[in-house]
Amino acid sequence: MIGSIIIRVAFGASLLAVLFYYLDYRKHSARLLVLARTSYRTAVAGMISAAALLVYLIMTHQFHYAYVWNYSSTDLPGPLLFSTFYAGQEGSFSLWAFYTSIVGLALMWYSSRKGYESELMLIYSAILSFLFLMLILKNPFTYIWDVFPKDLIHTGPIPASVVNYVWLDQAKGIWAQYPNEGKGLNPLLQNYWMVIHPQVLFIGFTSMSVPFAYAVAGMLKRDYVSWIRVSTPWTVFGAMVLGTGVVMGGFWAYETLGWGGYWGWDPVENSSLVPWLFCVASIHTMLSQRRSGSFIKTNFILSILCFIMVLYSTFLTRSGVLGDTSVHSFVEPGMLVYWMLLAGLFLFAGIGFGLFFARMKEMPKVPVEHSILSREFALFLGASAIVFAAMFIVIGTSSPIITSILKGRISAVDSSYYVTTTLPLGVFIALMAGIGQLLWWKNSDTESLLKSLRWPVLLAFLFTVGTYFIGAHHAAMLIFIFASSFALFTNAAVGFRIFRGNPKMAGGSIAHIGLALMFLGFVSSAKYDNKETVSLEQGKKVEALGYSMRYIGYHPIERGRFAFDVEVEKGDQKFIIAPVMYTNKESEGLMRNPDIINLMTKDFYVSPLSLETPDSKNEQELTVNKDEVQKFQDMSITYLGYNFSSSPEKGNVVSVSLDVIRGNKTYHLTPEMHNERGKVSYIPATVPNSDVTIAIKGMGLGNGGRGKSSITITVSTPLAAGQPPKNETLIVEASIKPFINLVWVGTITLVAGFFITILRRGSEARKNEA
Amino acid sequence: MKAKIIVAAVVIVAFLVFGAVSFLDSNVEYTDFAKAEKSAKKVQVKGEWVKEKETQYDAKAGQFSFYMRDDSQREERVVLDGAKPNNFELAKSVVAKGRYKDGCFHASELLTKCPSKYEGDATAVKKTL
Repeated sequence: MIGSIIIRVAFGASLLAVLFYYLDYRKHSARLLVLARTSYRTAVAGMISAAALLVYLIMTHQFHYAYVWNYSSTDLPGPLLFSTFYAGQEGSFSLWAFYTSIVGLALMWYSSRKGYESELMLIYSAILSFLFLMLILKNPFTYIWDVFPKDLIHTGPIPASVVNYVWLDQAKGIWAQYPNEGKGLNPLLQNYWMVIHPQVLFIGFTSMSVPFAYAVAGMLKRDYVSWIRVSTPWTVFGAMVLGTGVVMGGFWAYETLGWGGYWGWDPVENSSLVPWLFCVASIHTMLSQRRSGSFIKTNFILSILCFIMVLYSTFLTRSGVLGDTSVHSFVEPGMLVYWMLLAGLFLFAGIGFGLFFARMKEMPKVPVEHSILSREFALFLGASAIVFAAMFIVIGTSSPIITSILKGRISAVDSSYYVTTTLPLGVFIALMAGIGQLLWWKNSDTESLLKSLRWPVLLAFLFTVGTYFIGAHHAAMLIFIFASSFALFTNAAVGFRIFRGNPKMAGGSIAHIGLALMFLGFVSSAKYDNKETVSLEQGKKVEALGYSMRYIGYHPIERGRFAFDVEVEKGDQKFIIAPVMYTNKESEGLMRNPDIINLMTKDFYVSPLSLETPDSKNEQELTVNKDEVQKFQDMSITYLGYNFSSSPEKGNVVSVSLDVIRGNKTYHLTPEMHNERGKVSYIPATVPNSDVTIAIKGMGLGNGGRGKSSITITVSTPLAAGQPPKNETLIVEASIKPFINLVWVGTITLVAGFFITILRRGSEARKNEA
Repeated sequence: MKAKIIVAAVVIVAFLVFGAVSFLDSNVEYTDFAKAEKSAKKVQVKGEWVKEKETQYDAKAGQFSFYMRDDSQREERVVLDGAKPNNFELAKSVVAKGRYKDGCFHASELLTKCPSKYEGDATAVKKTL
């Protein structure tokens, strides 16, 4: 109850902040500014208390709250228990609102020093209000009996067996029962990345709203030029954090989900990548505007799109509109949430683009003065390619919506679509990332450009030829490798020179080095990975992928999971790799986690598939026609008919009548098949004086009842003497991912480049302070 | 100036055409078994796992097979190249991507959809009381 009130108070306070910031924007008064700040801070205080309360409810297992019951349980270790905070929609909206409110405090302080506060915080508070509204609709503080009133709310005396209850209305004898255990966290999420990844991702989403707010503030202030100076450090910060979040998600998938890859072009992955691409494109066009003054309109549009794409992605992945086209499954959130998300998307797109079209004519027109051989033009082309890639991904991800409108039937694009469309753009982006560094602003002379191109092109060519000899034989891949290594060598050379002069200026080159390394890593690990399914009988050596593998046995690890130790050998190299399998208690499904050995130049990746336990019996299937004698080993089996009965206690029962002659005795056996509300069980019958059992496997009614009916049975006989029992067999998919470390090293380098750029642009923005 | 606009326009048009072609080319339509049987294209079929029928993993072929009932109630055997997906038993419905060939549906990809948590999940509440 208290939680719901706090969220409503925070929502009210954030609306007041919008109002007071608006009034201050119109009238500029110190008193209004104080009111606006107080309202905003009240909203933040409310959000922090609501978040703290939710953490408290989760950590103390208050299962009378539906959210706590739905996502947590008492057996989760501390950090994972904490992470159930954002395991569901209600909580992840809370996390988003939480970070948005906190970042707003920093933004308030920063923008007040730049003379931007009322315009910026006006729109920013509106974003926060929208998130609070979502939280009122998807309230994490709903009582469980409000979700399941029929099952949990009772009237009359409380039976002694009920332990957990609360009185809702004692005078009328109305009370509610609540669970003493929760449903627990989805086992796929029970991993330490669950503690880190969502947090980083939501800080990233939050920071995407900052360039948007600055663009709107710039238009409100009629400042079409200098807003980018204050906004750039935040835009780069957003690119750094969201980029980190996206790659972390990929690493998580690679390391624990066992799909064998870090990227699957799934809607959820795409929807965090797309805002990032717009953000990165805007960093490049902002840089161009700083130098030449052009790209004013482009920068407004891209900055607006950063946030609109976050909203669009949220709509795609949380409204249920994608239906069955994603591996991530989503809770159908109800129509209200669907329309609210859509309304929010249109509201903020309307504010951003509405203002843009209203002010477009006022925006200064800067004549383009640069030539084709200028850094500005390379930046423009590079940024365009990034935007194109983003648009292709958006269109692909929206395919279910597009096709349902155009064709009336839903269809999704195959993941090959994304590869075909983004690969040529990737080549182009890499080439621009290289050439751009060699070009001068405004104009470069052809001769000096050709001279500076000589070495990088030669090195890239040699590098590409080298990769051809170690196995890269696809033309498209060789082109991509050439472009990426060209970007790598150019940026390494240029970056080294800049770094010696002023390390602060080297952010761009370092980021491009990171990108080039990632591109090379994508090629090697995704295109040239090597896979093999291997059956490992316990104790026996099996050759696969040039390694010798031997399954040793399994041992229990934490929380009812089992590690399957496999010894891997090649030359003097010897290591144990231990993928994990376990049965999930709730679903009784088999869960599997891969294990990876990082060998510097490659990963040895083992994904468990199944464990085949040895049979202590021989089982054989047999189909017997009605009234025909069928010989099996030392028995003659006759199928006489079946009997069907149905009762409320036992459900539907089919019992089959068989005559079995063994030795010189005839036995009458009746194996049964029970079907109790869809739950099927088989009751075998044992042949007297033996270990032979017969169970029903399936029935054929024989050509719609006209032909002979038949039955399929499973006959189990003990192992014959001298027949050795088999060992258990572990079946795994082993794969080698060459140079996958390049992807991770590239990411870290890219992030470092962003970080250095933030320092540089931050200190430049400080010089601008009003 | 003019040269730049021409370069940009050519690049943009080329990419748009290229994108549209790949989009149409790689669209995987939602359909049922009856239509999948007639089509040679890769399609996706949504349905439910028929728990009563044989569900097995063939270790030698590396194939997982089970029976699926599509939305028009037709049951077919589905053969997946690979192991059983992680949360197969949890799934309320299954989406198989692939082609219909030789009397069964050969899936290259299998998506599992988990049941909505709140919807009529009263049995889960009762279990934890």
